Amino acid sequence: MKEILALLRSRFWSFRNGSYSRDAKNHRLKGFLFGTVGLLFWAGIFAIFYRVLVYFQGVEGFGDVLARKLMSMVLVTLFSLLIFSSIITSLTKLYLSKDLILVHSMPVSAAKIFLARWFESTLDSSWMVVVYMLPVFLSYGIVYKAGLLFYTTVGLTILPLCLIASGISALAVVLVALVLPAGRLRSFFIFLGFALFLILLIAFRMMRPERLVNPDTFASLILYFKSLETPGSPLLPTTWIFDSIQAALQGQAGSAVFDLVLTWSFAIAMIFVITWISGATYFTGYSKAQTTAGRLFPFRGGRSRDWTYILNHLSGPVRAFAVKEIKTFFRDQTQWPQIFLIVALIVIYLYNFSVLPLDKSPIKTVYLQNIFSFLNMGLATFVLTAVAARFVYPAVSIEGEAFWIVRSSPVKIRTLLWIKFCVYYVPLLLLTEILIIVSNILLHVTPFMMVLSVTTVFFMVPGIVSMGVGFGAAYPDFQSENAAQSVTSFGGLLYMILCAGFIATVIVLEAGPVYTVFMAGFRGASLSTLQWIWLVVSFSLVLLLCILAVIVPMRWGERCLSRND
Amino acid sequence: MNDLQDHKMIELKNLTKRYGNTLAVNNLNLSVSKGEIYGFIGPNGAGKTTTIRIMGGVLAPTEGMVVIDGINMADDPESVKRRIGFIPDRPFIYEKLTGMEFMRFSADLYGVDERVFLENAQALLKKFGILNWADELIESYSHGMKQRLIISSALLHNPTVIIVDEPMVGLDPAAIKMVKNMFRELAREGMTIFMSTHTLAVAEDICDRIGVIHRGSLIATGTTGDLRRIAGIEEADLEEVFLNLTEEQEIQ
Repeated sequence: MKEILALLRSRFWSFRNGSYSRDAKNHRLKGFLFGTVGLLFWAGIFAIFYRVLVYFQGVEGFGDVLARKLMSMVLVTLFSLLIFSSIITSLTKLYLSKDLILVHSMPVSAAKIFLARWFESTLDSSWMVVVYMLPVFLSYGIVYKAGLLFYTTVGLTILPLCLIASGISALAVVLVALVLPAGRLRSFFIFLGFALFLILLIAFRMMRPERLVNPDTFASLILYFKSLETPGSPLLPTTWIFDSIQAALQGQAGSAVFDLVLTWSFAIAMIFVITWISGATYFTGYSKAQTTAGRLFPFRGGRSRDWTYILNHLSGPVRAFAVKEIKTFFRDQTQWPQIFLIVALIVIYLYNFSVLPLDKSPIKTVYLQNIFSFLNMGLATFVLTAVAARFVYPAVSIEGEAFWIVRSSPVKIRTLLWIKFCVYYVPLLLLTEILIIVSNILLHVTPFMMVLSVTTVFFMVPGIVSMGVGFGAAYPDFQSENAAQSVTSFGGLLYMILCAGFIATVIVLEAGPVYTVFMAGFRGASLSTLQWIWLVVSFSLVLLLCILAVIVPMRWGERCLSRND
Repeated sequence: MNDLQDHKMIELKNLTKRYGNTLAVNNLNLSVSKGEIYGFIGPNGAGKTTTIRIMGGVLAPTEGMVVIDGINMADDPESVKRRIGFIPDRPFIYEKLTGMEFMRFSADLYGVDERVFLENAQALLKKFGILNWADELIESYSHGMKQRLIISSALLHNPTVIIVDEPMVGLDPAAIKMVKNMFRELAREGMTIFMSTHTLAVAEDICDRIGVIHRGSLIATGTTGDLRRIAGIEEADLEEVFLNLTEEQEIQ
């Protein structure tokens, strides 16, 4: 136990010393921003669940059934999220961290190292999920006027839920590491995780959940109730936890404690089993991880066809960075599942438009189609922001410790940033325009709306990409083992917030004039002079904003990155 | 040699670097002539790497200037960097490129003529014994192989100045011998080499002059003979001279 605590203490000290480090000059501001956004999310979750539960309570007959179903879905989602998050974290903690070589050279048994790392991994992968689940349970407690028993049960069940999820993940990782070396393991699990997620997502979408709110589609009301009341499998830990919380909510202490004990006994048994298995197998897997840094799909080296000649017309430094950027991106296999995920999400996004029951709405179809088209512009640019946050924002940080190459080369930081801008701008513009055009075609919008959305997006994409590159350059993280995670940093958060503000401002500026034009066309009337002035001013402001969104972040990023100190 | 020595290729003028309250380099003044190999030695944390990074344009000084071939780094960093071959102490490079792709990347950055690129790149990779690995991803290279690749790429554009931090770290004895011979040969051809090292035998073996840095300040500079005189011990190797000089400073 002493050794395990000693191993964990280094992590605690590193965390504590973070606030004393040289990079922590904006620590308070960062803390404040993170705290505020986090609190807003927390309050948002609480408000939504509270509202939904109050609404359910008002539905006579099956309101409680719906509330129970919702909780069961929340628990299953929470459990799946915990498992997925733990797989990625425990893989890194147990096999890929840089300090493992030092730790394994110390006179501590493999089982103890495993336990210390597993504990760290459980904490890292669970804390955020747990924090954001608390408002859900709090809303249940308040709406159903629950007593101390409910809150105590929730507190006592969440902990074993995290331990069980993390235990299952660590067990899977340790066992698979015996077969596959860790280099491949990471790609394997990421592929597996995303594949499962995609299958679930597509299956869920193809089930057309919108039918659930329309009981007409069921053969009878009884069938409808039955589908809602189907209990979970008694072999699943989430079922015991669900039963325990439900019993506590209804004040049945005996039943709540029974399921609680069941959950805890499983969690403790799980810890014993993984400690025993890891004691026997962890070091073998770790040792294997040191020998091969293999790839899931082997690199074909010189045999692959060289396409770089198409960039020969570019100047030397521009070509050098463009080729490096593209090759590095596509050879990094951890990027691929995320690309697949984006493609799948886009397909689902577009599919949703194709199944919108616009003709069944009491509002005029033409009106609704155009409103959706306008909102779609905002949604598509939000999707773009999410994609840019994942790929464009870390573009500077991804240089990592090799950034000395850029600094020592005869190339201006400005050139580097504009190359990065161009590399990401072209595909992201294509992606967003495809999204907009296809969804507009599916909505059968008017030619005016089609031209408006395509043009607006055309001017907004450079701004969003430029903000990504600029903010990434202003807040680079060259030390991170995974540059993609830099988006969760202060700069990443700031980027997302400002992008959301930029999109919202453009939409607000355009909404009024567009509504006027649309209504004038609808009524067959022409626009007044004042309305024309409004239109021109609004669109000029949008254009100005888009230009500023390109220039200002790039200059700022360049200034910050050029500081060299 | 005298003509060469008249031409100052590297000049550090009042170079100072502070990290917050820590003074890493303190008012450093030195110059290195064309064709000279200058060794920079000092204990851990003395300011060697900071100085080297400022010279390579990787880090900005708090005060003072770096002049390479008569051009101030602050005035025209791109021109200066084009004249430098920079070799850092730790071989961090783009792991997802192959060795040859990294050479091509360097060639494009430094404007190496397309017609001579392949021939020169292959010759350098062959010289450093990694030509057979040229089409493999750098992530599969060992530490020493990465170091060899960085040295190859730094020489690809025929720089006039080589700035190298701990050149022998990670290299095997054969590679160390080869690098030493190559540096001597390049210096004979007029290339200026500024190297920091902990390996005093290497410094003694190949450097024309040596500077000793301690706590950010240059405490002694000259040939090994000059250093012996400064240390006041005539019959001693560089290690003893170095220890004597730095210990003296500690006492002061």
